[in-house]
Amino acid sequence: MRLLLVEDEIDIQSFLRRSLEESGYQVEVASDGKTAQRLAAESSFDILIVDLGLPDQDGISLILRLRQLGLRAPVLILSARRSVDDRVRGLEQGGDDYLTKPFALAELLARLRNLLKRNSSAAGEATRLRVLDLELDLLRREASRGGQVLQLTQQEFVLLEYLCKNAGRVVTRSMILDKVWGMRIQPDTNVVDVHIYRLRGKVDGAGQQPLIRTMRGVGYVLKDR
Amino acid sequence: MSLKTDKPPMRSAAWRISLWATLAFACGTMVVFVFLQSFVAGDIQRRSDAWLSGEVEVLGDVAERTPKDALYGRVVGEVAELAAREVPNKEASETASNDSVFFLQSGVDGSLKLWVGVGNGQDHLKAIRATEIPPDHPTDVRVPGFRVPFRVACLRADDGSHIYLGLSERDELRVLRSLRLRFFLLWLLIVLLGFGIVFLTTRRMLSHVQKITEAASRIGHSDLIARVPTTKRNDEVSHLALTLNRMLDRIESSMHQLHTITDSLAHDLRSPLTAIRGKLEMSLSTITDGEQIDPIVSVIDELDRLTDFLNKSLDVAEAKADALRLTRSAVDLNELLRVMIDLYEPSMSERGLRVSLQSSGPVRILADAALLHRMVANLLDNELNHLPANRTLTIQLRGKEDTASLILEDDGPGFDSEVLLHVFERRVKGRDSSGHGLGLAFVDAVARAHGGSVAVSNREGGGARIAITLPASPEPSSHSQLLASSSSN
Repeated sequence: MRLLLVEDEIDIQSFLRRSLEESGYQVEVASDGKTAQRLAAESSFDILIVDLGLPDQDGISLILRLRQLGLRAPVLILSARRSVDDRVRGLEQGGDDYLTKPFALAELLARLRNLLKRNSSAAGEATRLRVLDLELDLLRREASRGGQVLQLTQQEFVLLEYLCKNAGRVVTRSMILDKVWGMRIQPDTNVVDVHIYRLRGKVDGAGQQPLIRTMRGVGYVLKDR
Repeated sequence: MSLKTDKPPMRSAAWRISLWATLAFACGTMVVFVFLQSFVAGDIQRRSDAWLSGEVEVLGDVAERTPKDALYGRVVGEVAELAAREVPNKEASETASNDSVFFLQSGVDGSLKLWVGVGNGQDHLKAIRATEIPPDHPTDVRVPGFRVPFRVACLRADDGSHIYLGLSERDELRVLRSLRLRFFLLWLLIVLLGFGIVFLTTRRMLSHVQKITEAASRIGHSDLIARVPTTKRNDEVSHLALTLNRMLDRIESSMHQLHTITDSLAHDLRSPLTAIRGKLEMSLSTITDGEQIDPIVSVIDELDRLTDFLNKSLDVAEAKADALRLTRSAVDLNELLRVMIDLYEPSMSERGLRVSLQSSGPVRILADAALLHRMVANLLDNELNHLPANRTLTIQLRGKEDTASLILEDDGPGFDSEVLLHVFERRVKGRDSSGHGLGLAFVDAVARAHGGSVAVSNREGGGARIAITLPASPEPSSHSQLLASSSSN
């Protein structure tokens, strides 16, 4: 996967580059709009990360210009601004995504994956999910582990479904709040953790291999091996 | 935009102004007409009196010179008839006989000597006897059987007899009546015309003021870019519009400045936060030792709290300046609360707290859903952090016609009395609070940004009560509401 990172802050540039390369992306870096245009013209990219505050031009103008020049790849917009520009909303509707600084790396990676998945031909929605001996029937809204049906509430099922769809990858608390409860909040309290503890109590029974792992400081991951 | 059609014209200022202006105008013109009429009436009277005095003298002269023989009656009668034809102000009467003039001569003994006129003259003589008529001064005499009085001039002949010449005032009164009628019609016409002109002019002028009021009330609720309508004319109303627009320019520019400051402040702080957080996360992925992880994890948590604090501070600052930008959409508060409670309930019951929602169904308002989520999360975080175990939180949602009210009541210790006084100020928090003291200031900020309000109190039986009122839509739904809000300022 070839990725073009357009970001002028050296500190952010360097850690993003490292973590993106660790996740398997081939990263090219541009520190301003001019370089970004040149790089985009020279070779093709699968995905772009563009910061809105560039030294020579506005990030949105850059994206629009690149689109005019025939860029098809999806863009993840990074912004440190407070308000979301109407033009950003327009781009969001056009299939691009938007992430506010500061962000968790796990969330950035998840959004990149989503953008790439959206761009490729959407694989038919699975009706069953299977992670090790955990099985989810999405039609009957039923989960079972090792053949044993789990007594889950509706909300717990949605939470487990989200973890299963991201099995093997870290999901942060704010990603869970966003995708499972549909809100972007930053609670002062450990509300998400309590939901995870409860779910874990039902999924990881006594004597079974624990599937839901806590990644401290980051979030949670559902083990897939 | 036109004048509001639902407002009856009788209640407009234009109507009142035209009514008073017309009243003054009508009184003024009436006085002028009354004066004119009395002047004309006096003049007519003087002319007919002069004619009467002249004619009675001629007749007296003729009567004196004519020998008192058989022909005397005929000669004097002829002269009197001739005189009657020259009556001033006379209108051709329908009847051949002339009943508007009479000539009467009474003898020394007061008996009727000669009569020229309609009828036998006895009634006239009786009426004249009853009235004192000074010579050379015509006087009104009322004769039974005649509606209109006669003006009678008197002359005393040398032989002791009296000569009377009477002229009916009928024609004179008719002239005056027709004059009055014309005056009245003319007066009515110019008064109505005046009223119409004044009403239309003031209404046109005040409709500009009305338009300015409507435009000004829209501005600020929705946006600061709009301006009140201006006219090309160089009058007071257009000055008002221009002044308002200049004021809006200044407000918009300071608002813009505030946004620029908060934006750049956010940007300048968020960029390093991003770099720090990223580096910490990177180092976290390389460390496997549990003891080394702990401090990094707690720093990341602190950074997230700092970010949240930064966001809330800037939101509170902007809301205090009425400059918080909202992205409104239709929100069902009932659904929003159910989802939030669903999220918080496990943590609550974990701490031995009960939470119940009392709602009678969907309550839809136009609001910024993300801000409302953060507001309710704040309230529930507050309860979670401060309520002792085994207490109950009751949330009531009520939807009224154009407002929604959200009331949180708990049976905990309530607010400290000194906190209660400054509960919406930044950095005010309870003694045992671990938060950054922005919680209720943020709740207040969100409510204010939506045009609502928050009331905080301690319940009588103990416990805290937080009541939040939010309007259903940003625009005032009726004119009366607009008036109510402007008069309360």
